[in-house]
Amino acid sequence: MSRRAASFILGFALAVLVGAGLWWWLSGRVGGRSGAGAQEESGQGGEAVGFNLYFPAADGGLRAEPRELRVTAAPKDRIRKVVEALLAGPQAPGLLRPMPEGVTLGSVQLGPDGIAYVDLRWPDSPDPPPGGSTEEIQRVYSVVDSIVLNVPQASRVVLLWNGVQRETFSGHLDLSRPLTPDRGPKG
Amino acid sequence: MLPVLVAAQGEQIQTPPPAPPPPVGRPSVTLEGREIPVPVTINPSGPMFGLSPLAEALGGKLSSDSSGESVTLRVADTEVVLGPGNAIVTVGDSIVSLSQPPAPGEGGLQVPVDFLRKTFGDLLGYAFDWHPETQRLTIAKRGNRELSVTLDVVHLQGQSTIVLQFTEEPRYRINRDQPGTIVVEMLADRLNPPPPKEVQDPLVQGVAVDPQQVRIQLAQGVQAESYVLTNPFRLVFDVHPTSAVEVPTAPIGPTETAPGIRTIVIDPGHGGGETGAIGPSGVPEKELTLQLARELEAKIESRMGVRVVLTRNEDATLPLDERTAIANQNKADLFLSIHLNSSLGAGAFGTETYFLSPQATDPRAARAAQAENAGTPGTAAPVKPGSEDAAAQQDLDLILWDLAQSHHLAESQRFANMIQGELNQTLQLKDRGVKQAPFRVLMGATMPAVLVELGFLSNPEEEKKLQDPAYRDQLSEALARAIARYKALIENQPEPQAAGAAPAPPPPNGAQRTPPAAPAAPSPGTQPSKPPAAVPKPVGRSA
Repeated sequence: MSRRAASFILGFALAVLVGAGLWWWLSGRVGGRSGAGAQEESGQGGEAVGFNLYFPAADGGLRAEPRELRVTAAPKDRIRKVVEALLAGPQAPGLLRPMPEGVTLGSVQLGPDGIAYVDLRWPDSPDPPPGGSTEEIQRVYSVVDSIVLNVPQASRVVLLWNGVQRETFSGHLDLSRPLTPDRGPKG
Repeated sequence: MLPVLVAAQGEQIQTPPPAPPPPVGRPSVTLEGREIPVPVTINPSGPMFGLSPLAEALGGKLSSDSSGESVTLRVADTEVVLGPGNAIVTVGDSIVSLSQPPAPGEGGLQVPVDFLRKTFGDLLGYAFDWHPETQRLTIAKRGNRELSVTLDVVHLQGQSTIVLQFTEEPRYRINRDQPGTIVVEMLADRLNPPPPKEVQDPLVQGVAVDPQQVRIQLAQGVQAESYVLTNPFRLVFDVHPTSAVEVPTAPIGPTETAPGIRTIVIDPGHGGGETGAIGPSGVPEKELTLQLARELEAKIESRMGVRVVLTRNEDATLPLDERTAIANQNKADLFLSIHLNSSLGAGAFGTETYFLSPQATDPRAARAAQAENAGTPGTAAPVKPGSEDAAAQQDLDLILWDLAQSHHLAESQRFANMIQGELNQTLQLKDRGVKQAPFRVLMGATMPAVLVELGFLSNPEEEKKLQDPAYRDQLSEALARAIARYKALIENQPEPQAAGAAPAPPPPNGAQRTPPAAPAAPSPGTQPSKPPAAVPKPVGRSA
């Protein structure tokens, strides 16, 4: 084998090796970013636990969507994962996002009295979206019910918007006090 | 003697003698002029201070939860909960957003200076001043402020209201350890008492103010809940009987001579910058609610001889609390807030009427009620936070508290049922039922108060109908009939025939009149109301 041929083979082998490594690295990265839901469920650590997430339905109510999320035993982690999954939107047909796209989860706090403080961040607007009472009820109780009915350490919820506790989101529900969940029947 | 400076707001500040300047580049902390060993980390967002040595020096107690997620700091009977990496902390019942989150570091968890001001500053009266040029944090006890306080006691419709108005927000604590007595203790301020004033009130035996405290003595068989109003700062106690049987007879005022509907406040929902719902064609809720309110006002005034007050008669922003305040100031006998609905998705349609839910009651007051029920004043029955028992106990508290203070809830429910009945029977609308929700605009009303949703603007068909003046006339007609029926009921007069029983205008589009549909499934966060019931029994216990 000539020296030139050996160099060619060695270069080719190196290129294949680098290409394979690059493909492996990129595919892993892309896989890790393939949708919010996938990201939640492949979160680091913890175990897969079943939750009922309460998403708005077109008739003005809420409907439960069973979902498996990877969570640790820490209640704050569970609250965070539940709210992040809500904000990412439903997977079942006919259900709706509780918050506009772009709303993200800021801080989460859980007091010793069982009050969960959840900060929703929306860079697009200082104010929550306007709407009627049913719309506001759907948005707010989608979060409240999904937290309290899934995380037993949380009994009430205070919602903040862009870091501020508001009197109300869109002119109806009093949000200056912790909210208890709606325990009525859901689909 | 320490020199005394007078700050811009009249606050006296005792300044410590100047401490020797520290070596350049070494941050330091001084307490009353003496340096104390507190680790300091200088971040781009500002300095951070070791919490543990500061708590020890200033009189706070730190503990961690089992998961290590959060730390509890107890300062002057107030619990402060914070966690590493979390810029939100809770101080008692309040939430505080910090300039930067607490972070682990030398000396345990480190916190920014605004955390120190909100905790040790507000609760214990320390002043914290960070001097960037010398990298020094000075801590000094503030001198006691002397605050003026005025006192008002008003009795109206079987309930008394005590208002303590302060020149500035005091640092205080409410002590209910002694049954029948409420003590507002000043933590770091002094009060300038008002001239002695004899309180003549059936529910309040007396109110005494001295420099250290305000002592409220309640009559037997009454209880009180407190809340705060700002600008100016007021501490308000609503006092009401726990049992109608035990209530001392109140001096009878003009509004109590005979039950009746003399003044109605109608609240057109939203207004100004708050558009409310917006229909698919762009019509805003605020415009239609104002038109409906004006039409209803004209009908009531022309037929019933009742004074009608609109909370707004133009396109103006009006805070929710002011709407209720207008009703209270006008001594209204009925409060009706008119709204149009929207939902996520266009499928929802129909009408629904709300009155206030038990969730709207004050949790602090509910906890006090719980303690009183348990026979251990000032302490709540021990329940494991977050447990099923705790949730059930809280629900029970709210229900009991609601029963105790529901002077008007039963009447609100009765009025709401009449509204739904008229709307459904005459207009063939989908009956979404009478429901309860913690709606802000209904809170604090001292009369029966309901919020009616007259259709969904998010539904294209209903939006089109709501823009039709003839349809709106039918809606306001149904509301006027419900008011007339309720008025007759309260005044013991023959009730006007309900629309379903009397000849009424034909339904729109020639539809046949049918009995009202069964109530829809409850919406999230709301509770379908029970059928018209007797006035809930108040809880029979003493404050």
